[in-house]
Formats: sequence, C-alpha cells, structure tokens
Amino acid sequence: METNQYDNNMSEALEVATKAGYILLENGAEISRVEETMNRIAKYFGVDTGNYYVLSNGIFTTGNSRKLKKNNPNLLSEQFADVKYIPLRGSRLDKVVAVNQLSRDIEAGKYTIESAGEKLDEISKMPFVKNWFQVLSSGIGSGFFCSIFGGGLRDCLVSTFAGLILWLFVLKVSAPHMSKLLGNMAGSFLSTSFCIIAVNAGLGVSLSHTIIGAVIPLVPGVAFTIGIRDIVGEDYLAGTTRLVDACVVFFGIAMGVAAALLIFNKIFGGLEL
Amino acid sequence: MTESFDMITQTVWFQFLSGYFGTIAFAILFGVPKQFYNTGGIVGAAGWITCFVLTKHCGFSPFASNFCASVVITFLSRCFAVIKKCPVTVFRISGLLPLVPGIGIYWTIYYMISDNFSKAFETGIIALKVLAAIIMGMVIVSGIPNKVFKTLFSPRRAQNHRSAES
Repeated sequence: METNQYDNNMSEALEVATKAGYILLENGAEISRVEETMNRIAKYFGVDTGNYYVLSNGIFTTGNSRKLKKNNPNLLSEQFADVKYIPLRGSRLDKVVAVNQLSRDIEAGKYTIESAGEKLDEISKMPFVKNWFQVLSSGIGSGFFCSIFGGGLRDCLVSTFAGLILWLFVLKVSAPHMSKLLGNMAGSFLSTSFCIIAVNAGLGVSLSHTIIGAVIPLVPGVAFTIGIRDIVGEDYLAGTTRLVDACVVFFGIAMGVAAALLIFNKIFGGLEL
Repeated sequence: MTESFDMITQTVWFQFLSGYFGTIAFAILFGVPKQFYNTGGIVGAAGWITCFVLTKHCGFSPFASNFCASVVITFLSRCFAVIKKCPVTVFRISGLLPLVPGIGIYWTIYYMISDNFSKAFETGIIALKVLAAIIMGMVIVSGIPNKVFKTLFSPRRAQNHRSAES
C-alpha cells in the first residue's frame, strides 16, 4: 500500500515539475533554468529518476520507478512520459519570478504536491498590467529610446506619440487577429507612416531617429537576449530557434518600415533618412 | 538656439535618464514585477551610460564600449539577483535592452531591402561585432562562481539561519 502511494507520487511529482517547466519556458526563461527548476522540484518530491529534455518550444519528461522495483520485486515498474509542445510567445517575466520563488518555497518544504500544482495554476493565470499602462509605457519607452539612439528633443516627442499609437494597434488589432510576421509588418508600417507625416509637417527633425524610436517596442529584446544566453550555455538548438524567431520579427519590422518609406516617397518625394 | 536646446538629449545626464526610464518602460512591457522596476532601471542606465561615455567621450570603439557595458550590466544583475533573491534574467534582459544589437540587425535588413548592399554589409558586420562584445562580457562575468556573489551580498542573517537549521 505504502509503495503504491509512492508510485502515484512519481507521476504527480513529474507532472508538477513539467507544469512549472512549461510556465518558465513559455514566458522566456533560459533552458538551463527550466531544467534546473524541474529537477529541483521533482527531487524534493522524491523522484530522482526523472529525465528532462528541454527545447525552446518543447519539454520531454520521462521517469520510471526502477529503484522501487529493486526494493520490492513484486511491484511492476511504472513509467512516466510526457511531451509538451510550447509555442514561442511573448514573455512575462513576472511568471518566471513567481515560479522561481515557488521552487525555493517547495525546497523549503512549504508546499505539498497538490498545493504546488494549485499554486502553478494560479501563477499561469496571473493578470498582466492594465492596457492603458502598457500603451503609456510603450510611448515613454519609444521617446527615451529615440534619445538613446541619437534623436533630439522634438524627435523624441514624435517617437513618443508613434509608440502610443503602435501599442494601441498591437493590443487591439495585431495581437488578437494577425500572425507574428504580418502583425510586425503592419505595426512598423503604421508607426513609420506616422513618423514620416509628422516629420514632413515639421514636427520632427531626423526621420531615421524617430523611426528607430517608434519601432523599438516591437524589437524582440527578450527572445534575442535569451537566445544568446542559451547559446552561451551550450543549448545550441534552443538558442538558434529563438534567434531565428527574433530575426523573423526583425525582418517583419524592416519590411514594414521599407514599405512605408517607399509609398511615402512616391507621395511626398525625396524623403531623406 | 532652438537647435542647441533640441540636442539637450545628447548630454550625459539626459542619456542617463533616458537609459533609466527607457529600461523601466520596456521592463513593464516584458512583465517585470513592480518591485524590480527601480533596480532594473539602475542596471540599464548604468550599462548604457558606460557605453555612451566610453564611445562619445573616451573614443572607445563600439566593440570595446559594448564589452565594458555588458560586463557592468551582467555584474550588476548578478549582484542584484542575489540581493533581491530573484532570477538574474529579470535584470539582465531589461539592462541589455539599451545596447540592443537588434537595432543594428534591423538596419542591416532595412539596407538589404532597399538595395544598399555596401551599407548593409557594413552595419551587419558592426552589429555582429557588438553582439560578440556583449556575449564576451556576459560569458566572462558568468564565469564568476555564484558563491562569490552570495558571500559578498547575502545578509549575514541568512547564513546564521542556515547553520542554525543544520
């Protein structure tokens, strides 16, 4: 009876570990962190035969109760296998922090398997910051980044408004209705058009600086940094996947900017970058 | 007169503020928890100001200045990660944003699309060099064992607690 209980434990523990890994990976944690956290959680719940193979868009977990079988020859060895597909998505670092904290708490003995599972469900439903706050920070970020890339004060103001409009578009149109590539193209097209019109109306000075500031909220900083981190950590497959993902986004942004410049060049004539 | 006022953005203190608030703004979009906004902003601003001052005022090459900035950012991130007990990623991602070699890659693709191949090649190579510099900075500081940061920064209370437990 007792061994039976322990057996059930294995698949439950590995399920909880996989769930934690899923949340971490989905929200932009490095591969090494995902593997380490899964291992830590499973070990605390008494499973040390777990194997984890983590890619940037998938987790493979297996385990077996071979050890138990040695102690109790009558017991059939139990196997656990799970494959999870995780689409590449945006990042929510607050969830990464929460799961990290949870794994520490589990190690400190504050959670049972059930309560850890519930806590993970709770974490995966954590609300994001309000929409208006996102729009505001996108605008502010665009403005300050325009100054970082060498724009003057007026350019920064133009970029700020372009950033506001861009994020409204992302929230209302591109995120719910468009694919990644098309959404980025349309978004950068929109904000570049705004910049061109504003600069042509004499509001901004340097077109190239305003455009860089305006499209910066689309730039996949997290995917890029994590991709590099994975490659440095010798997870080449995961790292390249993320870098390619980032490059697709860059490509979309550049296409949108180029399209806007070509079209408005025909309308206004002689645009200078 | 207006021209010089317009370029107030290129002074060191304004750049520092830009690095700080720019980093925080994007930290919000990446879902960094509230209690880390300030720290993330400091890491980003420190990294960016290192890069800015070295490039503009000390005549360093983009490679050297980005390398130094990456070292500063990774080092500070690891310190704060131990102090605030949270994953390094949080600070490193927000901190590295102002350096974004991504913007270089964006220009490269842009020049390629607009048939300006020599410029595309030039910006592409510079972007790759900057990327390499950032990676090198990261690797070197990542090589420092975590123990060093723990003994430097974790409060003595925690160590006593651990010994009391065992």
